[in-house]
Amino acid sequence: MTRALLFVVALSFGVLGAPRAAHAQSAAAVLAQGARAYDDLELDNAAGLLRRALAFQGAAALAPADAARALMYLAATELLREHADSARAVARRLVLADPRFRPDELVFPSQVLTFYEGIRRATPVVIGRAPADTAIRPGTEALAVRLYASTFHDVTATLGTEAGRVVRTLYSGPIGDSLDLHWNGLDSSGTASPPNGRYAITVTSLDRQRRVVRILRLPLEVTQGRVDTLPHPAPPADSLLRPERQSMRPALRAFAPAALAGVAIVVLPGVVANGEDASAARFVVGGTVTIAGIAAFFSHHPGKSIPANVAHNRTLRDAWRRADTEITRRNAERVRGMLGIRAGAPVLLTPEAP
Amino acid sequence: MTRALVLAIAAIVAGAPLAAQSRWNVSFGVGGGQEIARSRIGTTRERVSGLVLGGEVVATRGKLVARLRYGQGRVTNDTAGRDVAEGEALLGYKARPWLTVWFGPHARTFVVPGQSDRRWLHWSGRVTARGTLFPGRVESFVELWQGITGSLNRPAESASGGGAEAGLVLRLARHPVWGRLAYRIEQGRASGGTRRETVEAITLTVGFVPLR
Repeated sequence: MTRALLFVVALSFGVLGAPRAAHAQSAAAVLAQGARAYDDLELDNAAGLLRRALAFQGAAALAPADAARALMYLAATELLREHADSARAVARRLVLADPRFRPDELVFPSQVLTFYEGIRRATPVVIGRAPADTAIRPGTEALAVRLYASTFHDVTATLGTEAGRVVRTLYSGPIGDSLDLHWNGLDSSGTASPPNGRYAITVTSLDRQRRVVRILRLPLEVTQGRVDTLPHPAPPADSLLRPERQSMRPALRAFAPAALAGVAIVVLPGVVANGEDASAARFVVGGTVTIAGIAAFFSHHPGKSIPANVAHNRTLRDAWRRADTEITRRNAERVRGMLGIRAGAPVLLTPEAP
Repeated sequence: MTRALVLAIAAIVAGAPLAAQSRWNVSFGVGGGQEIARSRIGTTRERVSGLVLGGEVVATRGKLVARLRYGQGRVTNDTAGRDVAEGEALLGYKARPWLTVWFGPHARTFVVPGQSDRRWLHWSGRVTARGTLFPGRVESFVELWQGITGSLNRPAESASGGGAEAGLVLRLARHPVWGRLAYRIEQGRASGGTRRETVEAITLTVGFVPLR
């Protein structure tokens, strides 16, 4: 009875635990298994594993480079399984995801390389990279967007509103490997910046018959003069500044013993020899001691300016004032006539074939 | 008195070898000063003054200090005159770099021709405080002493007393020479209350301390 119960419990754990363990495998591990299966020519197994690796979503999904590798393995697998349509679809998906991807010639046979090259050439597409947040001075500076193409083809690039109205045509012509688009912040009149709002750079890829085959939309948020200002530098800390005048303390410290001795000479006879009139000659000694103390006091130049320290502090303060003035100037420039541009995530659209 | 002078010189000379010892620092000084002595015996008062010459040796080892002073001279007025000899032998301890405490005997003898000597002897405790005016060059000092026990030889009585000295010490840079200008006042009182001796002096001392 007990043995039967243990068997049921073990079976339950086995049934429930197995899928969980498989699911616990990371996408990268599944990709590695798929690649090994491909190398061992276990193509059906490889196809299953690679599709599973690509199915991971969200934070568990493959990194872009691994995803490209998985797609390439899957395309090769499908090609070797003689699933040509499937191989073509996977290869096209790879080209659209990463037009710059090139398969490893040491891993894949020439048949696969030639197949992928053909798909890449037949799939004109561009991707774009733009700084996420920048500011330009319209007319003199420009926003740079770098485009990467899968193959040589013609493109048109425009800046337009969300509604699709073209604000400015940025480029029209062929693209090879890559191309830099520049927008100087002005509209088609070339004199004014567009008003604040949401815009998009649209790059349209054309085939040889000049039909639209792909559209890349790079959303932009344009804001006039709304630019973060730079913080003003803090004034030099007191710990960095040196005293500009001689302290009184060393002078007083030098004078005090003489003063005490002088006072002692005047006062002590009355204490030590009570009832006697002490000789006035003691004032000669007391006076001498006091004069020596006064000389010692002034030898320390109390309150006198220290030129080296004054110069040192002036250098620090001047440097701070210069930095502060420069920040003020730059902030004024930033606010005046600057165009803040924030780029969103690019979106790739493939129009339906007519 | 001649014997006392010889002893003082012998003490100074005897101190010389100490200077050669690396752990002892010995300085010597000679000087003189105008001394005014006022005596009061009952209602009788007498004031005499004159020049007193003397010498001193100070030996220092770590915080220990020993000081020998001797001086003698003649003090007079229009009608009378006395020879005076005075000396002290003190042992001190530097409690702080600026503070030294002393203990030792201090004696003064007045010799009147045709009369017996009158000698005051005090065992005293002293405190000397120094302050720097110009570092390494000039410092001031104040010394106070109080007789712990004392005696007067004739008439034989116990005595009390106290005194003070203050002044200026000057050292020459890179020279083993120093000088001191000081004012000193001391008073001895016999226990009977009828006799009191007050001595004031302005002294100028020039000394030598080997450079280390």
